[in-house]
Amino acid sequence: MSSILDVEGLGKAFGGVQAVQDVSFSVEQGTICSLIGPNGAGKTTVLNMISGLVPPTTGRVSFERRDITNSPAYRMASRGLGRTFQNLAVFAHATVVDNILVGMHARLSADPLTAAVYWGRVRNEEIRARRRVEEIIDFLEIQNVRDLPVGTLSYGLQKRVELGRALAIEPRFLLLDEMVSGMNQEETEDIARFILDIKEQLNVTVLMVEHDMGIVMDISDQVVVLEFGRKIGDGTPTQVSQDPRVMAAYLGGAGEAA
Amino acid sequence: MRAGHFKQSYLELVALTDSGAVKAWTAMLLVGCMALPWVASSYVLALATTILITAIGVVGLNLLTGVCGLISLGHAGFLAIGAYTAAVLAVDYAVPIIPGIICGGLLAAALSLLVGIPSLRLKGLYLAITTLAFTIIVTHSILNLDWLTRGSAGLSLPAADLLGISLAGKVSFYYFSLAACVLFVAAAMNVMRSRIGRAFVAIRDHDIAAEMMGINLVAYKLMAFALSAFFTGAAGALAAYQVRYINVDSFAVLVSIEALAMIIVGGLGSIAGAILGTIFMSLLPEFTRWLFDALGSGLTETFSTRALEVRGLIYGVVIMTVLRVQPDGLIGLWRDAKRLWSNWPFRY
Ligand SMILES: Nc1ncnc2c1ncn2[C@@H]1O[C@H](COP(=O)(O)OP(=O)(O)OP(=O)(O)O)[C@@H](O)[C@H]1O
Ligand SMILES: [Mg+2]
Repeated sequence: MSSILDVEGLGKAFGGVQAVQDVSFSVEQGTICSLIGPNGAGKTTVLNMISGLVPPTTGRVSFERRDITNSPAYRMASRGLGRTFQNLAVFAHATVVDNILVGMHARLSADPLTAAVYWGRVRNEEIRARRRVEEIIDFLEIQNVRDLPVGTLSYGLQKRVELGRALAIEPRFLLLDEMVSGMNQEETEDIARFILDIKEQLNVTVLMVEHDMGIVMDISDQVVVLEFGRKIGDGTPTQVSQDPRVMAAYLGGAGEAA
Repeated sequence: MRAGHFKQSYLELVALTDSGAVKAWTAMLLVGCMALPWVASSYVLALATTILITAIGVVGLNLLTGVCGLISLGHAGFLAIGAYTAAVLAVDYAVPIIPGIICGGLLAAALSLLVGIPSLRLKGLYLAITTLAFTIIVTHSILNLDWLTRGSAGLSLPAADLLGISLAGKVSFYYFSLAACVLFVAAAMNVMRSRIGRAFVAIRDHDIAAEMMGINLVAYKLMAFALSAFFTGAAGALAAYQVRYINVDSFAVLVSIEALAMIIVGGLGSIAGAILGTIFMSLLPEFTRWLFDALGSGLTETFSTRALEVRGLIYGVVIMTVLRVQPDGLIGLWRDAKRLWSNWPFRY
């Protein structure tokens, strides 16, 4: 096994707030890694730094052994790195199909001139993209809403579209920020099944931020725990859940959050 | 969704439309446009030509403001740049009409970067003000660069001709404008169904997510500005050839506002909406003039002496009504009607 993502000494200060401090961990190829921690622990900030949306104050991020620390967010898709967001981030006025097609952006080549003519290569690529989108729609079981504007769908379905859009990138690595928060039991189980299928069938490595301990313990191969911006635990779900520091932080964190 | 209506192939999915009805309507509309010179008076024909040319510019504005969500009051400036480019090229360098139109569009696109680059971080009101300043700078420059633009005297254009065919007549120029309009609208529709149109929509709806999908925000916002300015610049060039005399007064800020009104009334983000809005707002003054005539002579006098004020008033009322009653514009009205029609007699 070899690591696909290496985070070394990552830190971020927002003004006086040290949101993340000296966080290092690696994610092995073909695994599901969960990033957990109480509210405000810095999980989203870590994902933002990995995906190039927030420049880190210290540390390095390597993806497939290449340093991507200061590379811009829009390069990530073509590198094979997809993500979803904690708060809904769909293109609300576009249809499900068009949302997922946006995920294929980096795989298409149209420029204004060739797009205006819409012939030959642009047209063929577009037909291929549609075919791929239909596969994703079938995979996520959202056929019956494919032509609706995403903004009109339920929260759970919008999240599913966001996942589909990230899959359209054809990622080798997927960052998921709290996919199941706000979902009911059934929707949560669907998502867990999708994430497992994504790992096993599509061969994608997953790093997910999650508050739902059920799904974390069920499907993760590795769990990384943050508290107040620092890493306090890293290991298999069983190791982590027996770690006294994690237990203490988690009980305390859960108490604070409640 | 209609029962028994599904796509047979991926090719059909990328087609502009799969509906026989839409194809039939489009064909009828085109035939109607082709036949117009046989039935219309020369006044109506000139009005129709103006609408065709305006539609090109308004479809361009819609790409930037409706589709990409970047508001612009700079389009009067782009229109002026296109018009003056074509005029100067024609008068001083005897450049023919088609290269003139292309150069007008290209120069507008190039200068759009001047306002696009400082606007990258701006949204809403701030963007409106910056683009407004652009229009003002353009009109001032036109007045002051009189060695090039003849300043306040304006410029008279020679009649255009196309490969030996004179476009001096109203009918020939109408057909030329119709062809141009069809070409530009087809190009805009193609852009909309490509990754570029989808990227514009993505930037409008959620720019950070768009970035994660591989869309370079800087490049695509500038592209939206340039593409939009190209359309409007080309429309300016055509307009210059239509009226054959241009003056800086034709490109006041009010023109930008009228164009915005057209896309709002038609329905933001939709090409068909932009066209409908252009037609509706262009016919509105004609319709009111007719109404005033019918109502009596006192009112007619008001209309002729206070035409601009009356027009502004009517525009204002129409925009407020649309925003209040039908925020999706005329195209939204059309979609509702279509839904009712295709589902009848079922409610869902
Ligand atoms: N853009 C920002 N500017 C200033 N402070 C920020 C910013 N983003 C995050 N923070 C702060 O950084 C800390 C970590 O935030 P982050 O969103 O990473 O936490 P999280 O672990 O994802 O929390 P949650 O579980 O609530 O999503 C918080 O104290 C937050 O207020
Ligand atoms: Mg978070």
